[in-house]
Amino acid sequence: MIDKKPLIEINKLVRKFGSFTALNGVSLNVYPGEVHALLGDNGAGKSTLIKVLSGIHSATDGIIKVDGEEVHFNSPREASDAGIGTVYQDLALNALTSVTRNFFLGREIKKGPGAFGIMQMNEMNEITIREMKKIGISIANPEQPVGTMSGGQRQTLAIARAIYFGAKILILDEPTSSLGQKQQMEVLKTVKRVKNLGNIAIILITHNEIHARLVADRFTFLSLGEVIGSGLSSELGGDDVKRLMAGGADIGDLAKELENVT
Amino acid sequence: MSSKSLNQPRKESDLYDAKKWYSAILARPEVGPVGVMLLLFGMLGYFSIPAGDFSLNPFSGEGFNALAIRNNLRVISQLGIVAIGAGLLIISGEFDLSIGSMIGFAGGVMAMILRWGFAVVIPYVSFEGGLHIETFTLFKITDVSPLLAICITLCFTLFFGWLQGFIIVKTGLASFIVTLGGLFFLRGLTEVCYRAFNKKPDQTAGSTTVTEIPDIKNIVNIPGHGELERDVAKNLPQEQLLELLKTVPEATVLKLTEKLTYINEKVAASKTLLLKSKGVKGLEKALENAIASGNEGMVATLQDKIANFKIDPATAKIVTDVDIAKAYIDTLHSARPVANFFGGDIMEPLFDWLYFTVDWNVNNYGNQFADGLYSCLMIWFLLALICYVLLSQTQAGNWIYSTGGNLNAAKANGVPTNKVKISLFMFSAFCATMFAACQVFETNTADTAKGNLKELEAIAAAVIGGVVLTGGFGTVVGIIVGAAIFGIAKEAFFYIPGVDGSFYRVFLGIVLLASALTNENIRKRVIGSV
Repeated sequence: MIDKKPLIEINKLVRKFGSFTALNGVSLNVYPGEVHALLGDNGAGKSTLIKVLSGIHSATDGIIKVDGEEVHFNSPREASDAGIGTVYQDLALNALTSVTRNFFLGREIKKGPGAFGIMQMNEMNEITIREMKKIGISIANPEQPVGTMSGGQRQTLAIARAIYFGAKILILDEPTSSLGQKQQMEVLKTVKRVKNLGNIAIILITHNEIHARLVADRFTFLSLGEVIGSGLSSELGGDDVKRLMAGGADIGDLAKELENVT
Repeated sequence: MSSKSLNQPRKESDLYDAKKWYSAILARPEVGPVGVMLLLFGMLGYFSIPAGDFSLNPFSGEGFNALAIRNNLRVISQLGIVAIGAGLLIISGEFDLSIGSMIGFAGGVMAMILRWGFAVVIPYVSFEGGLHIETFTLFKITDVSPLLAICITLCFTLFFGWLQGFIIVKTGLASFIVTLGGLFFLRGLTEVCYRAFNKKPDQTAGSTTVTEIPDIKNIVNIPGHGELERDVAKNLPQEQLLELLKTVPEATVLKLTEKLTYINEKVAASKTLLLKSKGVKGLEKALENAIASGNEGMVATLQDKIANFKIDPATAKIVTDVDIAKAYIDTLHSARPVANFFGGDIMEPLFDWLYFTVDWNVNNYGNQFADGLYSCLMIWFLLALICYVLLSQTQAGNWIYSTGGNLNAAKANGVPTNKVKISLFMFSAFCATMFAACQVFETNTADTAKGNLKELEAIAAAVIGGVVLTGGFGTVVGIIVGAAIFGIAKEAFFYIPGVDGSFYRVFLGIVLLASALTNENIRKRVIGSV
C-alpha cells in the first residue's frame, strides 16, 4: 500500500473569501482503492474543500495534482472531466422520473441530431441494471421512479452513476446522514464494494466516526481550515479519533467546560 | 413476534404490499382525464338522443351530426394546439400567461401583413422646416405570400417568447409576473397597431379589426383566367364558364354530372318530406281542435285525410352545364397550399363518402352537411405527435422533465436548464402563432379580441390532462385528452335539453379542481410518499 502512487495530491491548498480564510494550507493524498475519511466539525472547511475539488470554487493558492498532473478547475464540468465525481447530499436525482433516466441524466445515449436524438432506452436500461449490480444493488425494474427507492438505494444510484461516467476520485458528501440505521449500512456496504473495485479513490466526508472507522483506511481531521491530524486507520486509537473530531480538544477538557456551565 | 419473522428477517421490501396489476395503470398521469373524457362521451351520447326516441346506438342524436363534429373538433384542436405549448412549459416548471395575447398579436401581425404588406421603416429626427420626426422606408414588400407572412410573424412572436424566457431565467423572477406583463403588453401593442394601421383619412380612430383580406386559401388557377378566388370564378359570365367546361376531360364531366344529379334528387326528396310534414301538421292541429270540440264527423274526416295525405313529389332540378362548371371549380386544388394547409379543410373525401355512399352526412334540406374537418385538427395532430416523441423519447424530453422535477439536480448533471426553459417559452409562442395562423387563414379576418382568455383555458386543459403545476409531471397524451375534455364539455352542455349552456363552466371548474387533486395524489404515489 505504501508504494502506491496517490491518485490525487493536495498540497497547501488555500481558499479565501475576501478577508475570510476558509482553507489555510490543507494537504492530503488519496490513494486508489482506499477510503479516505475527512472528518471535522461544522465550519472546519470540509465543504469548501469539496467545492474546490469539484470545481465550484477555484483555489486561491496551492496545488492539486490528479494522477501526477497539476490541474486547475474553472467549472464543475472540468472537474468531472478530470475524473472527480462528487455525490452531494441532495444526490442530484429527480424523484419523478425513472432510475434509468436519472442514471443518464444529461448524458443520455441517443441517436439523432443534438438534443432531439432518440434515447436508446433498452441499452440504457441494461447499463443501469449492470452498473447498479456491480456495487451491490439489483433493481428489478429500471423504469421505476426514483421516488419509490429507499434512501440507501438512491445513494447507490448516485454513486454508480458517478463511477460509470468516469469518476476516478469519488467524493461522498455525508452519505449516511439523514438515513435510517439499515440504510446507513447499505450505503457503507456500497462504499466497501466501490473500494474493492481497487481503482477508485474515495473521499468520505462524515460527522460519524463510527461509520468512518468501519470503512476508512486513512483519516484526515480538519479544524478551522487546517489539518489537525491524520493517519492510517490502524495507527489511530479510538480516543485520538474522538479528540480530533472535537477539533483537537481533549474529552476531559470538554467535560470541564460543561461543568462550568451553571 | 410472528413466526415468519423468526424464520426470515423482515426485509425493507416487505413493508410494501406486492403491487397489484392495476396500480401501474393508476400511477399514470392520464388515468383521471381519460375517465372524465369517457364520462363526457357518455353524457353527450345519452343527451343527444332525440326526445321520445330510444336507440341502442347512443351516437344517433343531434350532438353527433357531421357539422357538430366538425365544429367541436375545431374548438378542441385549436385549444389543443396552445395547450401543448402551455403543458410542456408547465412540465419544465414555468408557465406562460401571455399565450392569449400572443394569439391576438400574431393574428394581427399576420393579417396586417397580408392586407397591407410588410415594410421596415426607420424613424429619424429632422431639422429641416422645424424639428420633427421623419421616416425612412428601408424596404417594403407588398403582396406577401402566406408562407412569408407566417415567417415574419414567427420572427416577432418567437422574439417575444425568447425575451420572456430570457428575463425569467436571468432575473429569477416568477414566470407568473413576467408573462402577466407580457399579457398586458402584447394585447395593448396589438390594439395600438390595429388603430394606427386602420386610421381613416379624417384621422378618426381606426377599428380594431382587419377585414378585406382576400380568401387566400380559395384562390385557384382557372385555365384561361389565371388565379381567381373560387367565388369570383363561379360568378364569371355564363359563356366563360361554358368555355371553361370545354377544357374539362369527359370522364370528370360525367362524374360531376352523376354527383350533381344525386344531390338534386336528394334535395327534391327532402323538400317533398318537408312539405308533407308541414301539410300533415296543419291537419293534425285541426284534428286536435275537432277532438276537443267533440265533432265526431269532423274527426273521422280529418283522420281519413291524414292517412291518405298525398303531395306531389318535388321534381329534381335539371343539371345544367353551368352547374357542372361551378362544381368543377370546387374540385380544383388551391393555388396557395400554405394558406390551405392552415385554413382549409381536410378529409373531404371521407365526408363526401359519408354523403354520397353512406347517406349520413345530410342536412334537413338534402345537402351535404359538412365538407370536411378544419385543418387545425391536422396541425394539432402533427404538433402532438412531434411533442409526444420529443417528451417521451428524446434527450430533450428527459431534460424537460428534470428541469421541472428537480432544477438543481438537472443543473448538477449538466442539463442546460436555462436553454430548456427559454426554448419552451419560444415553443409556447410558436404554438400561439400556429393557432393564429389557423384562425386568420380560415376566417380571413383578425381582431384584437382573438385569443382572449386562451392562456387560462390552455393551462386548465393541461392540468385536467394530468400536468402538475409545480412541474416535472405530465404527458402529451394527457394534455391531448385534457383539451378534448375541455372542448367536449363546452359543446356537450349545449345538447342537454333544458340546461343552460353556461353550466359547462361550472362543470369545468369542478373537473379542474378534481383533476388537480388527483394529479397531486398520483404524483405523491410516484415519489412514494403515499
